[in-house]
This record gives sequence, C-alpha cells and structure tokens, in this order.
Amino acid sequence: MSIDFIGVNLQLLDGFKYTLILFFATLAAAIPLGLPIAFGSMSRFKPIRLITRAFVWVIRGTPLMLQVMVVFYVPGLLFGMPFKSRMAAVIIAFIINYAAYFSEIYRGGIESIPVGQYEAGQVLGLTKTQTFFKVILFQVIKRIVAPMSNEIITLVKDTSLARVIAVGELIMAAQDIVSVYGLLWPLFYTAIFYLIFCGVLTLLFGKLEKKLDYYRG
Amino acid sequence: MKKRVAALVLAVLMMVLAFGFTGCTGNEKTDWAYIEDKGELVIGITYFQPMNYEGADGKLTGFETEFAEAVCAKLKVKPVFQKIDWNSKVQELKSKNIDVIWNGMTVRDELLAEMDVSSSYMKNTQTAVIRKADADKYKDLASMAGAIVVAEAGSAGEVVVKADAGLSQKYTPVDTQVKTFTEVKGKTADIAVVDAVTAAGTIGEGTSYDDLMILSNIALGEPEEYAIGIRKGETELTAKINAAIKELYDDGTLDKLADKYNLTGRIIAQ
Repeated sequence: MSIDFIGVNLQLLDGFKYTLILFFATLAAAIPLGLPIAFGSMSRFKPIRLITRAFVWVIRGTPLMLQVMVVFYVPGLLFGMPFKSRMAAVIIAFIINYAAYFSEIYRGGIESIPVGQYEAGQVLGLTKTQTFFKVILFQVIKRIVAPMSNEIITLVKDTSLARVIAVGELIMAAQDIVSVYGLLWPLFYTAIFYLIFCGVLTLLFGKLEKKLDYYRG
Repeated sequence: MKKRVAALVLAVLMMVLAFGFTGCTGNEKTDWAYIEDKGELVIGITYFQPMNYEGADGKLTGFETEFAEAVCAKLKVKPVFQKIDWNSKVQELKSKNIDVIWNGMTVRDELLAEMDVSSSYMKNTQTAVIRKADADKYKDLASMAGAIVVAEAGSAGEVVVKADAGLSQKYTPVDTQVKTFTEVKGKTADIAVVDAVTAAGTIGEGTSYDDLMILSNIALGEPEEYAIGIRKGETELTAKINAAIKELYDDGTLDKLADKYNLTGRIIAQ
C-alpha cells in the first residue's frame, strides 16, 4: 500500500471540505445570533440579563471540545435518541460557542458608542429601533472589525476539534493517512492549508477595514 | 410591554427545558428489534492496516471490514461503517451512535463492565517496537528497564507495561497506537508497546517508520483475544453474531480472510 503526493493532497482536500463547511456554517449563523445575545446581556430586565450572562459564562467557561461531546453524546445517552448527523452536532456546538463570543464583542462595540449619538437620534425624532439600525449599528461594525477578525481566524483552527466525534476534517484526514500508510509528513503538511486560508482571510479583513475607514482621507 | 415579552420568552424557555428532560425517554426495544427495524448495523471503526482502511480505489477494505460485511450478510442487515474516535468508543456505543465496536478490540476485564462481547475470533499479542539503531540495546525484558516507554492510554499494551516494574519506570500514555511510533521515531520515547497486528501493518518499508523494527523475539504479557463490542444486555444480538461467526469459521471464510491480510494462524477455533 502506498500513496503519492497527489493522492495525499486529494485526501487532505477531502478533509478540508469539512473544515470549510464547518467554518462557513458557523459564521453564517453565529454572526446574526450574537446580536440578540448581546441585547440579552445588556437588557434592563434583570432575569433576562442574568440568564443571558449565565449562558455566556457557561459557554465561555467550558472547553469547546467538551461542548462538542455534550451536544453529540448527551441526546443518545440520556434520551436514547442518537444524533443522526455528526456534522450537524459539531455545527450546532460551534454556533452556540461562537455566538456567545461574538455577543461579547458586539456588547463592547455597542457600549462604546457615546450616549450623545442616541440623544442626537432622539432629537431628530427617530425611534429607538431606528436610532439603533440607522445611526448606531454602522459605527459599531466599524469598531468591531478588528476583534471579529481575530475571533474568525481562531475559528479556522478550532474546526480541528471536530475530530473528537470523528468528523473527518483536515487534521483527522491527515491522521488517517498516518495510520493507514505510515506516512508522517502529511500531518505537518496540513499547516499549509490553514496558512493559506488564514492568509486569504487576513487580506480580506484588511480590505474591509480600509473600506470602513471613511473618516480618514 | 417589554416585561411581558421577556416573561413570555422565559416561560417558553422553561417549557423547552422541561420537555427536553422528560419528554423523550428513548425506546425500550431490544437491540436486535431496533437493528432489524432500521435494517442496518452501524459498525464503529478506526482506520488502520490491515483491519479497516481505504484501498487504492478509495473503498473501505481490510480484514475486519470484510469480516463484518460477511456477518451482516448472514444477519440480513446492511453494514454501515462509522469512523469513531477510539477514546470515545464506550460513549459511542452507549449513546447508540454505533451498534457494535469492530476494530481489533482486545477483550479486557475493564471493558466487560461497559459492554458485552461476542465470542473471540482472533489471537493477538503485545509487541515492542524500537528504533533499528537500538537493536543491540534491547536483548531481553530486563534490558528494557528504565527506557522511556509509550503505549496507547487504556490499551492492552498499557496493561502489559504497568504490570512490569522495569517497563513502567518511565512510562507515558499517548492517545493512539500510531502516535507511539511517532514518539519512538522522534526519540521522545525509546520503546512502543502495541498490538502485534497493528505494528505489522503500520511500520516497515515505504512508510515514514522504516527506521523502526518489531522486537518479535521478546514476549510481552499474555496472549490476548479480539472480539466485537456489543451494547450491554443485548443477548439476542450477541447470540446472532456468535452464530454467524461460527458459520464463517466452519466454512473456512475466516481463515481465507486471515491469509489475505497476512494474519495467518491468528484465527481462534469456534
């Protein structure tokens, strides 16, 4: 049994496919979901605020690896209803985790906007909702691009945790090559995939920051 | 108004939680009825040669793969092979994400507390793997005392290491058998104690581990047996699998498979 360089790349690409699916699915859901959680933790109604903050505390206070295992194994262990799709379990765990982190970034961004902006909205006769979506939100987006890109680049590498419930992402694909063919280099070679992906993201975020930098000539 | 909305959200949340913890209390069917119903047996495996691996055509093959397919044909269910993380095999089985563990699993007392097993079908031994450059260093068990030893955590190899005062002096558990080879090759360890079947299938010419060798002349521990792990208390499924194994032994299928994958002489008479 042997495998050539192209064969290794094909197998790794097959694993990278799952890495990409997990990455984009998590972003697509966690970015909007972070907003209601951020509102929850800023709510003036105490029970909602306490529940939301406790939720964020639990999610940020436990390892993502453990959360993935809880989401996947607990339905089967407690209720005898095993999860049908491993990928779905990982995606759900990742969405919950990243939404919690994003919500804190949003909260920081929203609370950093001076109260004068709200007052200005009020003076112009805008409702609270109008003020938020027409005045505040764009200023928030501008301010959170840097911390968000940080978190999103972390997400690229966190996808490798999916292998704890045997979702065949990039690292697991490489580990399979190690155990089936006794070849060690593909495991380290996966770094190239991650580096290229993160490099592209870094360039994109750089462009976005520049585009949003409309107050400077 | 806002408070009322908040209270409503709270109430819904609590109902969802309450339902989640009481609503769905699994089915009480026996495993065989459960498996017959869905028409497939989900088989937990990991990839390694010669048991379960992807052949040149990208299709799953190997001794255990073909063996499992033959047994499923007799049970008239479809085999579904599911890759698992070996460290989570017990959770996978208990949570019904897989129905059996079929991956060269050595039967040990600790495992019997967690699962039932089929009749044993293959003999296995533990073997030491070292760097070829160290071939002169290790002549017998006594000469291995004080060397840095690695084995898979929770494996039969670990049991052997812990039972020997010399081997266990500087012992480090790692999470997979293959990683033990990487440790020895990278000189972070000197001796790997692993299944003879795994060692023979993974190291040698054409692999990254061609500078390693199996110390086949030094016996480690007692001979062991491979069996299939089945959810606890499922006697009907166990009986059906055992009957199928016996048929496959009697008609010579098992011996033929062993010859095909260089495992000649390891099959246990049924």
